[in-house]
Amino acid sequence: MARVTVQVRDAAGNTATATADYSLGQPVLGGYYLSGGADPTADMAGGNFRSLTQYRSFADGYIFPGYNRPWLVSLGKAGVQMNMVLELKHYGAPNSGQQSFAVDGTSYTVPAPTMTIQQRPGATWPKAYGYGQVLKGQCDGLFARALSQYRTLGFGVNIQLASELDTDHEFGTTEDGKAYTWAESDARAVQAMTYILTWFKARTLPAGTTFSVGLGGFDRACFQRTHPESLMSRLDYLQWNAYGTNASHTALARFRRTKDWAVADLGPVALSRPVIIAEWGVRSAEIPDQAAWIATVPAAIAQLNAERGPRIVRTNYFNSGWGTLTPKAVGLAALREAYAKRPYV
Amino acid sequence: MAAPTATAALNASVFAPGDQMLLTVTYSDADTKPLTVTIVVTDAQGNSSAPVKVTAVIDPLTVTVTDNSGRTWTRVSDNGSVAVYRSVA
Repeated sequence: MARVTVQVRDAAGNTATATADYSLGQPVLGGYYLSGGADPTADMAGGNFRSLTQYRSFADGYIFPGYNRPWLVSLGKAGVQMNMVLELKHYGAPNSGQQSFAVDGTSYTVPAPTMTIQQRPGATWPKAYGYGQVLKGQCDGLFARALSQYRTLGFGVNIQLASELDTDHEFGTTEDGKAYTWAESDARAVQAMTYILTWFKARTLPAGTTFSVGLGGFDRACFQRTHPESLMSRLDYLQWNAYGTNASHTALARFRRTKDWAVADLGPVALSRPVIIAEWGVRSAEIPDQAAWIATVPAAIAQLNAERGPRIVRTNYFNSGWGTLTPKAVGLAALREAYAKRPYV
Repeated sequence: MAAPTATAALNASVFAPGDQMLLTVTYSDADTKPLTVTIVVTDAQGNSSAPVKVTAVIDPLTVTVTDNSGRTWTRVSDNGSVAVYRSVA
């Protein structure tokens, strides 16, 4: 904390002193995600990449560092800040049934997931451990397994619960045959997230552990419903994702959208939390010159952080799905260039 | 003799490296009075010069700004009660 001191002195030597404290924000961390959770080390090498998003299902027996992912430990020990997205979503076979396993000498049996999410018409609805299952304590073994592995990792991470609750709930959810609307699903998720946070925080966590909940951030009402102050008091970060998917989309507008909603709708605790952009990207189908769009991102983030409201502190490019860099070399070069500028340095 | 008063306010509490920082100092002292002395010279015949005005300040105030991080603050403006200083984060 820096302090500026003002002294006012009159002719007789009488003085008055006033102070104002300030601090310097750290540079924003430029980050990355590589499709399939693949090893991003080569893509990040030599660039100012200091942050990484990863996705794991609580159903997976290998959450930290992940199955066959020793590189995650290397990157983490090298100081790359990890945003580990842990999902109740089941990624599919194998093992979509009941699981029995032991964690540090304690045996657990976790029933099969009983909720469906992302119920887009015409799509296969993915399974997920239900919010009701969580609240009944049926998933405690999954949390215990994840925590046990996490403790051996050697560094603290941000645990982002869920990838995008709005995407998960957009078309409602179903648990145990009972259908829930989008808004009902949000309310149930807040209860389940609170349960999970309480579960983890009651136990010894590696130093530097932080928490957030995941949102795409594309729906204002959902964003508000999923960020009550009672939940935010347990969280360290706000989070949303930002994509350019239309020729008219500017980086500033896309990163700004959810921030503006947050500033207008959320309470003081929520707004005191910095922001992780777990995913950002530009879709080449509509915006073929991805490099030019990426080049506008540093100024957009700098501008948003100069305005009132929560500061964006990490932005992880999603080189997959909508954000797939095509051609990869050109996109990567643009990312490197962007992350070499303010506010990333 | 009255003691002066001062307040200091920054335009933000957290700055990104390289940002402009603005410090607004509001200050006063009950004894500090601006005054104007008007001089007219009149000779024995009653001819007077044009009036000449001189301004002065009783008990003027000096403002000093220091920064424990070593930053230099440059005065941008000062009207006698509000002074603005600028630095770079």
